[in-house]
Amino acid sequence: MNYPIWYLPNTGGGLLIAIIAILHVVVAHLAVGGGLFLVLTERKAVKSNDAAMLGYVRKHTWFFVLLTLVFGGVSGVGIWFIISLVNPGATSALIHNFVFGWAIEWVFFIGEIVALLIYHYRFDKMDRSKHLVIGWLYFIFAWLSLFVINGILAFMLTPGGWIETGNFWPGFFNPGFLPGLLFRTAIALIFAGVFALITASFLKDGNLRIRVFRYSAKWMYYPLILLALTGFYYSTVISEESFRNVFHVNPESRAFISLFIYASVALFGLGLFTIVRMNSMLHKVLAFILVVISFGWMSGFEYLREIARKPYVLYGYMYSNGIRPGEVATINENGFLATAKWARIKTVTEENKLQAGEEIFRIQCLSCHTIDHYNGIRSRTNKLSERGIEAQLTGMGKINTYMPPFAGTQKEKKALAAFLYEVIQGKTTIPDKGYKPAELTTEYPAFDPQKNDYVLLVWNDLGMHCISDNEKYFSFLPPANTLNAQLFKRGPLPQVVTKNVKLVYEVEPMHADPEKHSMFWKYSREIFGAEIPSGKGLAGKSVNDVMDARGNYFAADLIPVVPYRDDDVYSPYPVFTVSAIDQTTGELLIATKAVTPVSTEMGCKNCHGGDFAWNGISGVSDETAENILAAHDRYNGTTLLPDAQKGRPRLCQSCHADPAVGAPGKSGILNFSSAVHGFHANYLPDMDNTSCNMCHPSAATGNTNCYRGRHAITGINCTNCHGRIEDHALSLLAGQSSIPQAKVLSANLVPLLARDKAAVNPRTPWLNEPDCKGCHTNFNINIDGFSGTAYNQWASGFNELYRNRTDNHGVRCIACHGSTHAVYGAQNIYEKQRDNMQPLQYQNIAGTIGTYNNCAVCHTVPMNANGHHRNMANRTDQVAIVQ
Amino acid sequence: MTTIIPSPDTLPVHWLWFQILLTFTFVLHLILMNLVLGGSLLAIGDLIRRKQPDAESKHIPVLIALTINLGVPPLLFVQVLFGNFFYSSSVMMSVYWIMIIPVLIFAYYAAYIFSKKFDANSLFGKISLVISTVLILYIAFMFVNNSTFSIQPEKWAAYLDRPEGTLLNLADPSFWPRYLHYMIASVAIAGLGKAVWHRFFNKNTEASEKEIRIKKNLKIFGIATMIQLIVGTWFWLVLPEHVSKAFMGQNLPATLLMAVALLSAMLLMMAAIRGRLMLSVVLGLFQVILMTVIREIARHTYLSGKFSPSQLEHVHQLSPLIAFLLVFVIGLFLLFYMYRLAISPKIKNSL
Repeated sequence: MNYPIWYLPNTGGGLLIAIIAILHVVVAHLAVGGGLFLVLTERKAVKSNDAAMLGYVRKHTWFFVLLTLVFGGVSGVGIWFIISLVNPGATSALIHNFVFGWAIEWVFFIGEIVALLIYHYRFDKMDRSKHLVIGWLYFIFAWLSLFVINGILAFMLTPGGWIETGNFWPGFFNPGFLPGLLFRTAIALIFAGVFALITASFLKDGNLRIRVFRYSAKWMYYPLILLALTGFYYSTVISEESFRNVFHVNPESRAFISLFIYASVALFGLGLFTIVRMNSMLHKVLAFILVVISFGWMSGFEYLREIARKPYVLYGYMYSNGIRPGEVATINENGFLATAKWARIKTVTEENKLQAGEEIFRIQCLSCHTIDHYNGIRSRTNKLSERGIEAQLTGMGKINTYMPPFAGTQKEKKALAAFLYEVIQGKTTIPDKGYKPAELTTEYPAFDPQKNDYVLLVWNDLGMHCISDNEKYFSFLPPANTLNAQLFKRGPLPQVVTKNVKLVYEVEPMHADPEKHSMFWKYSREIFGAEIPSGKGLAGKSVNDVMDARGNYFAADLIPVVPYRDDDVYSPYPVFTVSAIDQTTGELLIATKAVTPVSTEMGCKNCHGGDFAWNGISGVSDETAENILAAHDRYNGTTLLPDAQKGRPRLCQSCHADPAVGAPGKSGILNFSSAVHGFHANYLPDMDNTSCNMCHPSAATGNTNCYRGRHAITGINCTNCHGRIEDHALSLLAGQSSIPQAKVLSANLVPLLARDKAAVNPRTPWLNEPDCKGCHTNFNINIDGFSGTAYNQWASGFNELYRNRTDNHGVRCIACHGSTHAVYGAQNIYEKQRDNMQPLQYQNIAGTIGTYNNCAVCHTVPMNANGHHRNMANRTDQVAIVQ
Repeated sequence: MTTIIPSPDTLPVHWLWFQILLTFTFVLHLILMNLVLGGSLLAIGDLIRRKQPDAESKHIPVLIALTINLGVPPLLFVQVLFGNFFYSSSVMMSVYWIMIIPVLIFAYYAAYIFSKKFDANSLFGKISLVISTVLILYIAFMFVNNSTFSIQPEKWAAYLDRPEGTLLNLADPSFWPRYLHYMIASVAIAGLGKAVWHRFFNKNTEASEKEIRIKKNLKIFGIATMIQLIVGTWFWLVLPEHVSKAFMGQNLPATLLMAVALLSAMLLMMAAIRGRLMLSVVLGLFQVILMTVIREIARHTYLSGKFSPSQLEHVHQLSPLIAFLLVFVIGLFLLFYMYRLAISPKIKNSL
């Protein structure tokens, strides 16, 4: 941001640093350990009067000079050069803070160089004792230079007290300093042994060669215990977040963890062959292989150290792209392009959107992402729509903190998403065509208040139900609508009837064969663990069946109705005709019609890409399903996509507990609603009910419009009861606080409808829900006011829920007031009064059963007392009905 | 355009510390670098005239080691004071700049090949010398590009069209006279250095031959200095107007320094041609220091009005500086001690 960027779209600066640094670091560790090796071996040779061994030391010194002085020394400067080019901001910060540390290191360097030159050039021209002093001084200077650079390098990952004080000393002697120093000293000794094999392999005398090989083996293996202990120590001083990112979360680490493990096994496994006598050629091959493995081994370790530091280049102080965490809020307000000194475009317009997006990518993202190669952005964004990329940028760094947050305005974020989608992916966002619902007409049965003795009220319990209709890949919502009913015998004191009556239900003919339109039965064994008979639901009911009597109501659970008609019309509100039949006489007591809302308007594709699967109107396509599973696998280390592709799709709730399907889930894993909402809230915050509409079939422009009751008409939206997605997620995550992931998902969520996170009351999904009483004080808002939101005032349990609650007479609230989310009078886009058929049938008014002083519907006579709840009789204010 | 100059970071101590350290350590680096490059050029000169290069050329690899090492402090201090300029210009020529590293490695190895094959009079060794020298000339070329580009932010807009790191500053009118001036300086100082080597360090040649060589090398020093007076004046005149005028009266201390430098150069020329070694050494050192200080003044003048290190904030952390000075003194002592050990004669006859 502050500095110009070296444009490297194909290599990436990080790779260049890695190449130079790894080459240097291996040789540099050799330069330290090898110094001790030289002086100790010389001493050993002198003590045992071994001229041949001394000759070996002389040769090894020359090799040492050529490798460590020339290559090691210049490549060290090389690191300095390359980091200044790839990340000048971080380099400047380091240099300005640690200039005297480097100045001190330079003194050690010159001591090292002079000592080594004397050691080599005066090898036989000095008294041996004085020569050994020079050797020791070389090693001391070399180790001291490691001392210094290790402090500064460790600072980058664990800056310690420097973050608060800006002081050199706590910054230098930071938490990672000591473990790093000890760990690298162990490495230095090990490499001394490995590289000694190179010169030893050229010894012609076989006896000497095997002696040196075995001697070098001690250098390789004795420090192993120190390496293991200090390595473990090292892993305990990095921050919890670092540890979690590098070992559990960041997919980038996986390859390097494998590399480090395999290289360790290879190095210390093959290294055992050093004790075996063999001919010179084999010894050369062995030495060469061990050196090559050493480079691989070091790469594994150093890459892991670098990855542990992400998203920072200086931990907690500066992100890898040069942005400081404290600057992000200002940049979001003033604009990234306006703030970046070297941006060629300063504001985003409609005309320059793609170029602006490219400029943002170049300055903010190129530091870690190439286009097609390492961390290639093309493959990172090919499973998302343009809107999905925008959401990804919004959620970046909030859950998986190895990414920094996006810094820029909303417009800039959209420009970047447009660039990534249109230019990098080469795709185009097709604008929404809009949807014209089929115009349906339904005739409902007649009701004669003089002749009919019964009133049958039937409702769907949830008011909306979806099907995740690509069971080939996964399922979390099978075809499973529940119808409930109460049958009343009319009279001044009506009776709830369940005995001796059979409630038969029948769906519209076009919906009679759901098995033709759903993969539910094909995959029922994989997903539900049992073969479910064709046409039957999970509770054994089919679409034409009989309801069960339970206490004072009737239920038909989990009816497998689907919204796809046989004539290829999409109808998410199939109508059931329910008939109450006297079991003794066979007489039809009363019939009515009820809607079971069932939609496949799953909004996953809005971000996860793909199109609607069923005639371009609805349903989850294979592409969308694959992208969803791929994302889940990447973030969580699961194998859902390959498993599904091998014919083994899973029920999401097989891991994620869910009261809605009665699944216990697996311990330690968030329940389904917490996981989905908790995760996505990070990507779709600050959007009021638009975020609800992105996934649920509630969008006004969608094919369902499931939120259609009285509240929708008065302008109340989902968030007034449920909170925004952030509020919604926080209430769920608060109920899961014993699971660590709950803290991770809620870390960056900010509640709107509660004072703070601590004030959010925990809830279990499907059991603690917002309730009417939260707003409807004393059952009459117009007289007694309302709190403005039902959020955070949850019903205490199953029996307290609106859809299950009764009054003192056992009459269900939902029976008279209508299905949840379709409270009378509702408006339906497929047929205006489709949801209001029962009130129209019984009282000719599309409003609550009994409204407008229509108590006679059940009571046969007018009533003037509050029999069911307060503020019923003699109401002066009349609420809206649907004309 | 000045708004694109990156914001600088704060200093730990007052800027003058760094300016003095920068100037002092750069002088040391310059002298060693001149010995390497000038020495290589003189050796090639001998090869062209079908002569064996002087024996002292074998020491080039050791001198390279010291040159690189002494390049570290000035590079460090220049980044502390002018980092926001230096990093920017480095990025803009990044491809050429990073190539310095492999180039230097090859040059260094090539010098070792030359040194090891010297006695065998091998062709491979001679070719290696040429390769090493050409590569070092590349490094110098890039350093001149970077240091001139860094202090001319008005030219940085070129980056906006070419962000791949392939910009150079060759169109600068002062580029070639500057480069030439520095190359000739290396020959001059190498001549002086060889003369010094013969007087104080050459144990293998008898006295009269040594005197001849001393005089020959001093002559090289003197003639090179004479050429420098002309090239240097050309260099001075094509500098940006406000910079060259600073030394012509606009900046009084700068003008005085320049006058002293010109005078000293002329005295130096005469002393060298007359074979006066000690006088040449004193005046030569003096000249290198003066030229370096003048270069620093020129750098400040280029940037005047846009930036001065004196405007950098400092947070006043003295203890790291003190630690460095302590370590430096101990280091000097140890270096001296090691030198004494190295030259002590071998007494014992054991291994």
